[in-house]
Amino acid sequence: MTDGTIEKMKGAFSTDLVYRSEDVPLTCIPNPEELEDTLHGLMKLNGLIIRSLEEVAGRGANAVTYRAGRKYGHEVAKYFEKMENIEEALKELSDILRGQFTFEIWKPADKTSYIIQENGSTFIYLVFHDCIVRQTLRRNGQAQGGPLCQTLYGYVVGAIEEITGRKAKLEIVHTGPNACLKKLILQ
Amino acid sequence: MIEIRVDDNACNGCGLCVKDCPMHVYELRESLSVPVHPENCMGCLSCHEICPAQALEHKGIYPSRRHYIDIRVCEMLNRVI
Repeated sequence: MTDGTIEKMKGAFSTDLVYRSEDVPLTCIPNPEELEDTLHGLMKLNGLIIRSLEEVAGRGANAVTYRAGRKYGHEVAKYFEKMENIEEALKELSDILRGQFTFEIWKPADKTSYIIQENGSTFIYLVFHDCIVRQTLRRNGQAQGGPLCQTLYGYVVGAIEEITGRKAKLEIVHTGPNACLKKLILQ
Repeated sequence: MIEIRVDDNACNGCGLCVKDCPMHVYELRESLSVPVHPENCMGCLSCHEICPAQALEHKGIYPSRRHYIDIRVCEMLNRVI
């Protein structure tokens, strides 16, 4: 490589921009469209990490990803107003997470309430529409419902614990290409 | 509410949508899939993906974000097609 080539390469990383420590970035720079390569790279990397984790740790992979998700849930929800009403808590969580894990509270047509009591357990159905986990898995051709989905499981449980102070469990009922059905079991 | 239409000419009555749907939206009647409980459809589109005859049509679906579609691959395919 000649000196000229190196200088040309280095030139791409040199700008006239002045960054001050008090500057708060208010917009995405560069434009999100330009981040497509980064996004795909991240999705690929995440998929490969999960695949490798599964190979090395087997079923233990679920525990790792669940814990990671739970921490994320606690982290995000600690700024929320604490409330006891689980439906209100879920609605607020869905609004704030729009774009990452957009979900709606759902019920079959024959049920009168969103909080369903069946066989001694109390649960709420959640339909996850936009989900970064599903997109990552489909980007890499990996099956849904595996360890990466456990992050979402941990995430919702962590957030619900943080907001309502109640223990909860999330069960994957069904996974689809456009939405997934989960059961939030309240304890 | 989501409206589901089954193309009777295309449906081969394999019953995959009946088995796959967690909300029992479909039933097999006279070797054809019939959406008997469309009100219970949550729009996961698993039936769409699984149907070998591509006989299903859903109206009123919320389309989830699909960032996993590679724009460059799509551009290439569009050029070929």
